[in-house]
Amino acid sequence: MVLTLYGLAAPLGGTATVAMTLAEKGIPYTFVSVDLQHGEHKQPEFRKKQPFGLVPALDDDGFVLYESRAICRYLAEKYAGQGPTLIPTELKAKALFEQAAAVEFANFEPHARAAYNEGVLKPHFNLPIDASALNTCISKLSDNLDVYEVILGKQRFLAGDEFTLADLFHVAFGTTLAEAGCDLMTSKGPNVKRWWKEVTSRPAWLSVLNSGIKTTMCEDDAFKSGVSEP
Amino acid sequence: MVLKLYGMPVSTCTRRVATVLVEYKVPFEFVSIDVAKGEHKSAAYLQNQPFGQVPYIDDDGFILFESRAICRYIVDKYPAPAGTTPLVPSDIKGKALFEQAASIEYSDFEPYAYPAVREKVFKAMRNLPTDQAVYDSSIETLDAKLAGYEAILGKQKYLAGNEITLADLFHLPYATLLAKAGSDLMTTKGPNVTRWYNELCERPSWNAVKDGAKSFSSY
Repeated sequence: MVLTLYGLAAPLGGTATVAMTLAEKGIPYTFVSVDLQHGEHKQPEFRKKQPFGLVPALDDDGFVLYESRAICRYLAEKYAGQGPTLIPTELKAKALFEQAAAVEFANFEPHARAAYNEGVLKPHFNLPIDASALNTCISKLSDNLDVYEVILGKQRFLAGDEFTLADLFHVAFGTTLAEAGCDLMTSKGPNVKRWWKEVTSRPAWLSVLNSGIKTTMCEDDAFKSGVSEP
Repeated sequence: MVLKLYGMPVSTCTRRVATVLVEYKVPFEFVSIDVAKGEHKSAAYLQNQPFGQVPYIDDDGFILFESRAICRYIVDKYPAPAGTTPLVPSDIKGKALFEQAASIEYSDFEPYAYPAVREKVFKAMRNLPTDQAVYDSSIETLDAKLAGYEAILGKQKYLAGNEITLADLFHLPYATLLAKAGSDLMTTKGPNVTRWYNELCERPSWNAVKDGAKSFSSY
Protein backbone atom coordinates (compact mmCIF):
# COMPACT_ATOMS: atom_id res chain seq x y z
CA MET A 1 0.00 0.00 0.00
CA VAL A 2 1.24 3.45 -0.90
CA LEU A 3 2.23 6.01 1.73
CA THR A 4 -0.16 8.88 2.39
CA LEU A 5 1.26 12.31 3.23
CA TYR A 6 -1.10 14.80 4.89
CA GLY A 7 -0.09 18.44 4.78
CA LEU A 8 0.12 21.79 3.06
CA ALA A 9 0.85 21.89 -0.65
CA ALA A 10 3.37 24.72 -0.50
CA PRO A 11 7.17 24.75 -0.90
CA LEU A 12 7.87 25.66 2.70
CA GLY A 13 7.87 24.06 6.15
CA GLY A 14 7.47 20.49 7.24
CA THR A 15 5.32 19.14 4.42
CA ALA A 16 7.82 20.35 1.82
CA THR A 17 10.68 18.84 3.84
CA VAL A 18 9.00 15.44 3.71
CA ALA A 19 8.09 15.86 0.03
CA MET A 20 11.75 16.58 -0.77
CA THR A 21 12.85 13.43 1.08
CA LEU A 22 10.24 11.32 -0.73
CA ALA A 23 11.58 12.71 -4.01
CA GLU A 24 15.24 12.09 -3.02
CA LYS A 25 14.42 8.46 -2.33
CA GLY A 26 12.06 7.97 -5.26
CA ILE A 27 9.16 6.90 -3.05
CA PRO A 28 5.67 7.10 -4.55
CA TYR A 29 2.98 8.59 -2.32
CA THR A 30 -0.57 9.84 -2.12
CA PHE A 31 -0.91 13.46 -1.03
CA VAL A 32 -3.91 14.64 0.95
CA SER A 33 -4.18 18.39 1.36
CA VAL A 34 -5.17 19.57 4.85
CA ASP A 35 -7.28 22.73 4.81
CA LEU A 36 -5.19 24.88 7.14
CA GLN A 37 -7.03 28.03 6.16
CA HIS A 38 -10.25 26.63 7.59
CA GLY A 39 -8.59 25.06 10.61
CA GLU A 40 -8.94 21.46 9.54
CA HIS A 41 -5.69 20.63 11.35
CA LYS A 42 -7.16 21.74 14.67
CA GLN A 43 -10.27 19.57 14.38
CA PRO A 44 -10.64 16.46 16.58
CA GLU A 45 -10.61 14.20 13.51
CA PHE A 46 -7.16 15.38 12.44
CA ARG A 47 -5.91 15.46 16.01
CA LYS A 48 -6.38 11.68 16.10
CA LYS A 49 -3.42 11.55 13.71
CA GLN A 50 -1.50 14.53 15.12
CA PRO A 51 -2.37 15.42 18.74
CA PHE A 52 -0.71 18.85 18.49
CA GLY A 53 -2.89 19.82 15.50
CA LEU A 54 0.06 20.42 13.17
CA VAL A 55 1.02 19.28 9.69
CA PRO A 56 2.46 17.13 8.22
CA ALA A 57 1.55 13.55 9.15
CA LEU A 58 2.36 10.31 7.37
CA ASP A 59 0.25 7.16 7.19
CA ASP A 60 2.28 4.14 6.12
CA ASP A 61 -0.30 1.40 5.78
CA GLY A 62 -1.80 2.23 9.16
CA PHE A 63 1.46 3.25 10.86
CA VAL A 64 0.96 6.95 11.58
CA LEU A 65 3.91 9.25 12.18
CA TYR A 66 4.23 13.02 12.59
CA GLU A 67 7.00 15.64 13.03
CA SER A 68 8.61 16.20 9.63
CA ARG A 69 12.17 15.35 10.70
CA ALA A 70 11.00 12.09 12.32
CA ILE A 71 9.10 11.20 9.14
CA CYS A 72 12.19 11.92 7.01
CA ARG A 73 14.39 9.81 9.31
CA TYR A 74 11.88 6.93 9.09
CA LEU A 75 11.85 7.14 5.27
CA ALA A 76 15.66 7.27 5.17
CA GLU A 77 15.86 4.13 7.28
CA LYS A 78 13.02 2.18 5.69
CA TYR A 79 14.27 2.93 2.17
CA ALA A 80 17.97 2.77 2.99
CA GLY A 81 18.55 0.61 -0.05
CA GLN A 82 17.43 3.13 -2.66
CA GLY A 83 18.48 6.64 -3.55
CA PRO A 84 21.12 8.60 -1.61
CA THR A 85 22.12 7.51 1.92
CA LEU A 86 20.60 10.31 3.92
CA ILE A 87 21.80 9.14 7.36
CA PRO A 88 25.27 7.58 7.83
CA THR A 89 25.46 4.25 9.64
CA GLU A 90 29.05 4.18 10.94
CA LEU A 91 29.27 5.24 14.60
CA LYS A 92 31.35 8.42 14.30
CA ALA A 93 29.90 9.53 10.96
CA LYS A 94 26.43 9.08 12.44
CA ALA A 95 27.40 11.10 15.53
CA LEU A 96 28.63 13.94 13.31
CA PHE A 97 25.34 13.74 11.39
CA GLU A 98 23.41 14.01 14.69
CA GLN A 99 25.58 17.00 15.63
CA ALA A 100 24.73 18.73 12.34
CA ALA A 101 21.03 17.81 12.67
CA ALA A 102 21.02 19.29 16.19
CA VAL A 103 22.69 22.48 14.92
CA GLU A 104 19.87 22.82 12.38
CA PHE A 105 17.05 22.77 14.92
CA ALA A 106 18.97 24.64 17.65
CA ASN A 107 20.91 27.30 15.71
CA PHE A 108 19.18 27.70 12.35
CA GLU A 109 15.47 26.89 12.42
CA PRO A 110 14.36 29.06 15.37
CA HIS A 111 15.79 32.20 13.76
CA ALA A 112 14.80 31.32 10.19
CA ARG A 113 11.28 30.51 11.31
CA ALA A 114 11.06 33.72 13.37
CA ALA A 115 12.22 35.71 10.33
CA TYR A 116 9.59 33.98 8.19
CA ASN A 117 6.82 34.63 10.73
CA GLU A 118 7.79 38.28 11.09
CA GLY A 119 8.81 39.13 7.54
CA VAL A 120 6.48 36.97 5.43
CA LEU A 121 3.48 35.75 7.44
CA LYS A 122 2.66 39.05 9.12
CA PRO A 123 2.44 41.08 5.89
CA HIS A 124 0.44 38.21 4.39
CA PHE A 125 -2.16 38.75 7.11
CA ASN A 126 -1.88 42.55 6.83
CA LEU A 127 -0.19 42.80 10.22
CA PRO A 128 2.61 45.34 10.78
CA ILE A 129 6.16 44.00 10.82
CA ASP A 130 8.14 44.52 14.03
CA ALA A 131 11.38 45.68 12.42
CA SER A 132 13.34 45.29 15.64
CA ALA A 133 12.18 41.69 16.11
CA LEU A 134 12.99 40.89 12.49
CA ASN A 135 16.46 42.39 12.82
CA THR A 136 17.12 40.42 16.00
CA CYS A 137 16.44 37.02 14.46
CA ILE A 138 18.36 37.89 11.29
CA SER A 139 21.29 39.05 13.41
CA LYS A 140 21.31 35.79 15.41
CA LEU A 141 21.09 33.81 12.20
CA SER A 142 23.98 35.81 10.80
CA ASP A 143 26.18 35.01 13.81
CA ASN A 144 25.44 31.30 13.46
CA LEU A 145 26.03 31.35 9.72
CA ASP A 146 29.50 32.75 10.45
CA VAL A 147 30.16 29.35 11.97
CA TYR A 148 28.59 27.54 9.02
CA GLU A 149 31.04 29.49 6.81
CA VAL A 150 33.94 28.00 8.80
CA ILE A 151 32.54 24.46 8.82
CA LEU A 152 31.69 24.51 5.10
CA GLY A 153 35.20 25.70 4.26
CA LYS A 154 36.53 22.37 5.53
CA GLN A 155 33.89 19.95 4.23
CA ARG A 156 31.30 19.83 1.49
CA PHE A 157 28.19 19.38 3.62
CA LEU A 158 27.25 19.95 7.25
CA ALA A 159 27.91 16.42 8.50
CA GLY A 160 30.92 15.69 6.31
CA ASP A 161 31.48 15.28 2.59
CA GLU A 162 28.18 13.53 1.87
CA PHE A 163 24.74 15.13 1.62
CA THR A 164 22.53 14.11 4.53
CA LEU A 165 19.17 14.98 6.06
CA ALA A 166 21.01 17.60 8.16
CA ASP A 167 21.49 19.64 4.97
CA LEU A 168 18.03 18.81 3.63
CA PHE A 169 16.29 20.04 6.80
CA HIS A 170 17.50 23.57 6.05
CA VAL A 171 15.87 23.90 2.66
CA ALA A 172 12.18 24.43 3.30
CA PHE A 173 12.65 27.31 5.76
CA GLY A 174 15.91 28.60 4.37
CA THR A 175 14.33 29.34 1.02
CA THR A 176 11.73 31.62 2.65
CA LEU A 177 14.43 33.93 4.04
CA ALA A 178 14.81 35.85 0.78
CA GLU A 179 11.09 36.62 0.87
CA ALA A 180 11.57 37.96 4.42
CA GLY A 181 14.16 40.37 3.03
CA CYS A 182 17.18 38.39 4.20
CA ASP A 183 19.83 37.34 1.66
CA LEU A 184 22.19 35.72 4.15
CA MET A 185 22.17 32.34 2.41
CA THR A 186 23.93 33.89 -0.59
CA SER A 187 25.71 36.86 0.97
CA LYS A 188 27.22 35.43 4.18
CA GLY A 189 30.30 34.00 2.51
CA PRO A 190 31.52 31.90 -0.42
CA ASN A 191 31.25 28.60 1.47
CA VAL A 192 27.66 29.03 2.65
CA LYS A 193 26.77 30.33 -0.79
CA ARG A 194 28.34 27.29 -2.51
CA TRP A 195 26.64 24.87 -0.12
CA TRP A 196 23.26 26.59 -0.35
CA LYS A 197 23.34 26.56 -4.13
CA GLU A 198 24.20 22.85 -4.17
CA VAL A 199 21.50 21.93 -1.69
CA THR A 200 18.74 23.96 -3.33
CA SER A 201 19.69 22.79 -6.83
CA ARG A 202 19.08 19.15 -6.03
CA PRO A 203 16.53 17.61 -8.42
CA ALA A 204 14.38 16.57 -5.44
CA TRP A 205 13.91 20.21 -4.36
CA LEU A 206 13.40 21.42 -7.91
CA SER A 207 10.64 18.85 -8.36
CA VAL A 208 8.89 20.17 -5.23
CA LEU A 209 9.15 23.71 -6.63
CA ASN A 210 8.24 22.93 -10.21
CA SER A 211 5.74 20.10 -9.92
CA GLY A 212 4.37 21.00 -6.50
CA ILE A 213 3.45 18.66 -3.69
CA LYS A 214 0.92 16.18 -4.99
CA THR A 215 0.21 12.50 -5.35
CA THR A 216 3.23 11.11 -7.14
CA MET A 217 3.37 7.67 -8.66
CA CYS A 218 6.32 5.86 -10.23
CA GLU A 219 5.29 6.63 -13.78
CA ASP A 220 5.06 10.38 -13.16
CA ASP A 221 7.70 12.62 -14.69
CA ALA A 222 7.96 14.47 -11.37
CA PHE A 223 9.00 11.20 -9.72
CA LYS A 224 11.69 10.41 -12.27
CA SER A 225 13.11 13.92 -12.30
CA GLY A 226 13.20 14.12 -8.51
CA VAL A 227 15.40 11.13 -7.80
CA SER A 228 18.97 12.26 -7.25
CA GLU A 229 22.00 10.18 -8.10
CA PRO A 230 23.11 8.33 -4.94
CA MET B 1 41.57 7.43 27.59
CA VAL B 2 38.50 8.21 29.68
CA LEU B 3 35.76 10.26 28.03
CA LYS B 4 35.91 13.95 28.94
CA LEU B 5 32.80 16.11 29.27
CA TYR B 6 33.48 19.84 29.01
CA GLY B 7 30.72 22.05 30.37
CA MET B 8 29.32 24.10 33.20
CA PRO B 9 28.20 22.10 36.25
CA VAL B 10 24.68 23.52 36.47
CA SER B 11 24.14 24.14 32.75
CA THR B 12 20.96 22.51 31.47
CA CYS B 13 22.62 20.97 28.42
CA THR B 14 25.64 19.78 30.38
CA ARG B 15 23.42 17.98 32.89
CA ARG B 16 21.42 16.48 30.01
CA VAL B 17 24.59 14.73 28.83
CA ALA B 18 25.74 13.80 32.34
CA THR B 19 22.37 12.13 32.99
CA VAL B 20 22.77 9.80 30.01
CA LEU B 21 26.42 9.02 30.82
CA VAL B 22 25.29 7.96 34.29
CA GLU B 23 22.30 6.00 32.86
CA TYR B 24 24.69 3.96 30.74
CA LYS B 25 27.32 3.78 33.51
CA VAL B 26 30.01 5.32 31.32
CA PRO B 27 33.00 6.57 33.33
CA PHE B 28 33.81 10.16 32.49
CA GLU B 29 35.89 13.09 33.63
CA PHE B 30 34.06 16.38 34.00
CA VAL B 31 36.02 19.49 33.05
CA SER B 32 34.45 22.73 34.17
CA ILE B 33 34.44 25.61 31.68
CA ASP B 34 34.45 29.09 33.21
CA VAL B 35 31.43 30.47 31.38
CA ALA B 36 31.22 33.50 33.68
CA LYS B 37 34.68 34.53 32.46
CA GLY B 38 33.79 33.80 28.83
CA GLU B 39 36.03 30.77 28.48
CA HIS B 40 33.48 29.24 26.08
CA LYS B 41 34.14 32.08 23.66
CA SER B 42 37.93 31.79 23.76
CA ALA B 43 39.81 30.91 20.57
CA ALA B 44 40.93 27.62 22.13
CA TYR B 45 37.39 26.63 23.03
CA LEU B 46 36.00 27.62 19.64
CA GLN B 47 38.38 25.12 18.03
CA ASN B 48 36.30 22.38 19.60
CA GLN B 49 32.85 24.00 19.74
CA PRO B 50 32.70 26.65 17.02
CA PHE B 51 29.34 28.05 18.20
CA GLY B 52 30.84 28.88 21.60
CA GLN B 53 28.30 26.84 23.55
CA VAL B 54 28.56 24.19 26.26
CA PRO B 55 28.93 21.23 26.46
CA TYR B 56 31.14 19.13 24.21
CA ILE B 57 32.88 15.81 24.70
CA ASP B 58 36.33 14.54 23.82
CA ASP B 59 36.11 10.77 23.47
CA ASP B 60 39.72 9.76 23.01
CA GLY B 61 40.26 12.49 20.43
CA PHE B 62 36.76 12.36 18.90
CA ILE B 63 35.14 15.75 19.54
CA LEU B 64 31.37 16.06 19.53
CA PHE B 65 29.01 18.87 20.54
CA GLU B 66 25.23 19.47 20.83
CA SER B 67 23.94 17.72 23.97
CA ARG B 68 21.32 15.59 22.20
CA ALA B 69 23.84 14.42 19.59
CA ILE B 70 26.25 13.48 22.39
CA CYS B 71 23.51 11.53 24.20
CA ARG B 72 22.62 9.67 20.99
CA TYR B 73 26.31 8.82 20.45
CA ILE B 74 26.58 7.39 23.96
CA VAL B 75 23.52 5.19 23.42
CA ASP B 76 24.85 4.12 20.01
CA LYS B 77 28.33 3.29 21.28
CA TYR B 78 27.66 1.59 24.61
CA PRO B 79 25.35 -1.31 25.43
CA ALA B 80 22.40 -0.61 27.71
CA PRO B 81 23.17 -1.71 31.27
CA ALA B 82 22.06 -5.27 32.09
CA GLY B 83 18.36 -5.55 32.73
CA THR B 84 17.47 -2.26 31.05
CA THR B 85 16.04 -1.49 27.62
CA PRO B 86 18.10 0.73 25.33
CA LEU B 87 17.29 4.42 25.47
CA VAL B 88 16.87 4.41 21.65
CA PRO B 89 14.88 1.49 20.15
CA SER B 90 16.44 -0.42 17.28
CA ASP B 91 13.37 -1.80 15.47
CA ILE B 92 12.27 0.45 12.64
CA LYS B 93 8.82 1.42 13.95
CA GLY B 94 9.97 1.77 17.57
CA LYS B 95 12.82 3.96 16.35
CA ALA B 96 10.46 6.09 14.24
CA LEU B 97 8.20 6.66 17.25
CA PHE B 98 11.29 7.60 19.27
CA GLU B 99 12.28 10.12 16.58
CA GLN B 100 8.75 11.51 16.68
CA ALA B 101 9.01 11.93 20.46
CA ALA B 102 12.51 13.42 20.20
CA SER B 103 11.20 15.91 17.65
CA ILE B 104 8.27 16.80 19.92
CA GLU B 105 10.77 17.69 22.64
CA TYR B 106 12.70 20.23 20.59
CA SER B 107 9.73 21.50 18.55
CA ASP B 108 6.86 21.57 21.05
CA PHE B 109 8.56 21.82 24.45
CA GLU B 110 11.99 23.46 24.42
CA PRO B 111 11.09 26.52 22.27
CA TYR B 112 8.62 27.54 25.00
CA ALA B 113 10.16 26.15 28.19
CA TYR B 114 13.55 27.68 27.41
CA PRO B 115 12.43 31.34 26.98
CA ALA B 116 10.29 31.10 30.12
CA VAL B 117 13.25 29.77 32.13
CA ARG B 118 15.66 32.24 30.51
CA GLU B 119 13.52 35.24 31.43
CA LYS B 120 12.71 34.29 35.00
CA VAL B 121 15.68 32.18 36.11
CA PHE B 122 18.81 32.82 34.00
CA LYS B 123 18.32 36.57 33.62
CA ALA B 124 17.43 36.94 37.29
CA MET B 125 20.63 35.08 38.21
CA ARG B 126 22.61 37.65 36.22
CA ASN B 127 20.60 40.64 37.45
CA LEU B 128 19.34 41.35 33.95
CA PRO B 129 15.88 42.81 33.32
CA THR B 130 13.27 40.14 32.54
CA ASP B 131 10.59 40.40 29.86
CA GLN B 132 7.31 39.40 31.46
CA ALA B 133 5.51 39.42 28.08
CA VAL B 134 7.93 36.82 26.69
CA TYR B 135 7.46 34.66 29.80
CA ASP B 136 3.67 34.94 29.64
CA SER B 137 3.37 34.08 25.96
CA SER B 138 5.86 31.21 26.28
CA ILE B 139 3.93 29.69 29.16
CA GLU B 140 0.64 30.18 27.34
CA THR B 141 1.93 28.25 24.33
CA LEU B 142 3.56 25.59 26.52
CA ASP B 143 0.24 25.11 28.30
CA ALA B 144 -1.45 24.45 24.94
CA LYS B 145 1.35 22.10 23.85
CA LEU B 146 1.12 20.09 27.05
CA ALA B 147 -2.46 19.22 26.08
CA GLY B 148 -0.85 17.13 23.33
CA TYR B 149 1.40 15.49 25.92
CA GLU B 150 -1.61 14.78 28.17
CA ALA B 151 -3.32 12.98 25.27
CA ILE B 152 -0.25 10.92 24.37
CA LEU B 153 0.60 10.01 27.97
CA GLY B 154 -2.94 8.84 28.62
CA LYS B 155 -2.34 5.98 26.16
CA GLN B 156 1.24 5.03 26.93
CA LYS B 157 3.72 5.37 29.74
CA TYR B 158 6.34 7.45 27.96
CA LEU B 159 6.52 9.70 24.94
CA ALA B 160 7.76 7.08 22.48
CA GLY B 161 5.85 4.10 23.88
CA ASN B 162 5.88 2.09 27.08
CA GLU B 163 9.63 2.22 27.65
CA ILE B 164 11.59 5.28 28.67
CA THR B 165 13.81 6.73 25.96
CA LEU B 166 16.18 9.66 25.47
CA ALA B 167 13.15 11.67 24.32
CA ASP B 168 11.74 11.65 27.87
CA LEU B 169 15.10 12.31 29.55
CA PHE B 170 15.84 15.26 27.24
CA HIS B 171 13.02 17.19 28.95
CA LEU B 172 14.45 17.06 32.45
CA PRO B 173 16.85 20.03 32.53
CA TYR B 174 14.28 22.65 31.43
CA ALA B 175 11.17 20.97 32.83
CA THR B 176 12.66 20.97 36.31
CA LEU B 177 13.41 24.71 36.11
CA LEU B 178 9.86 25.73 35.25
CA ALA B 179 8.76 25.76 38.87
CA LYS B 180 11.66 28.07 39.70
CA ALA B 181 10.56 30.26 36.80
CA GLY B 182 7.13 30.49 38.40
CA SER B 183 5.13 27.90 36.47
CA ASP B 184 3.70 24.71 37.97
CA LEU B 185 2.46 23.39 34.60
CA MET B 186 4.39 20.12 34.89
CA THR B 187 2.30 19.11 37.91
CA THR B 188 -0.97 20.89 37.18
CA LYS B 189 -1.60 20.46 33.46
CA GLY B 190 -3.15 17.02 33.86
CA PRO B 191 -2.78 13.71 35.69
CA ASN B 192 -0.86 12.02 32.85
CA VAL B 193 1.78 14.73 32.45
CA THR B 194 2.11 14.88 36.25
CA ARG B 195 2.60 11.12 36.52
CA TRP B 196 5.21 11.12 33.74
CA TYR B 197 7.04 14.17 35.08
CA ASN B 198 7.21 12.89 38.64
CA GLU B 199 8.55 9.56 37.44
CA LEU B 200 11.27 11.27 35.42
CA CYS B 201 12.25 13.36 38.43
CA GLU B 202 12.83 10.20 40.44
CA ARG B 203 15.28 8.77 37.92
CA PRO B 204 18.50 7.94 39.84
CA SER B 205 20.70 9.13 36.95
CA TRP B 206 19.07 12.57 37.03
CA ASN B 207 19.33 12.78 40.79
CA ALA B 208 23.04 11.97 40.61
CA VAL B 209 23.71 15.09 38.50
CA LYS B 210 20.81 17.47 39.00
CA ASP B 211 22.69 19.64 41.47
CA GLY B 212 25.77 19.78 39.26
CA ALA B 213 27.58 17.62 36.75
CA LYS B 214 30.75 15.99 38.08
CA SER B 215 33.21 13.21 37.24
CA PHE B 216 32.24 9.56 37.64
CA SER B 217 35.16 7.14 37.62
CA SER B 218 33.14 4.04 38.51
CA TYR B 219 29.57 2.96 39.16
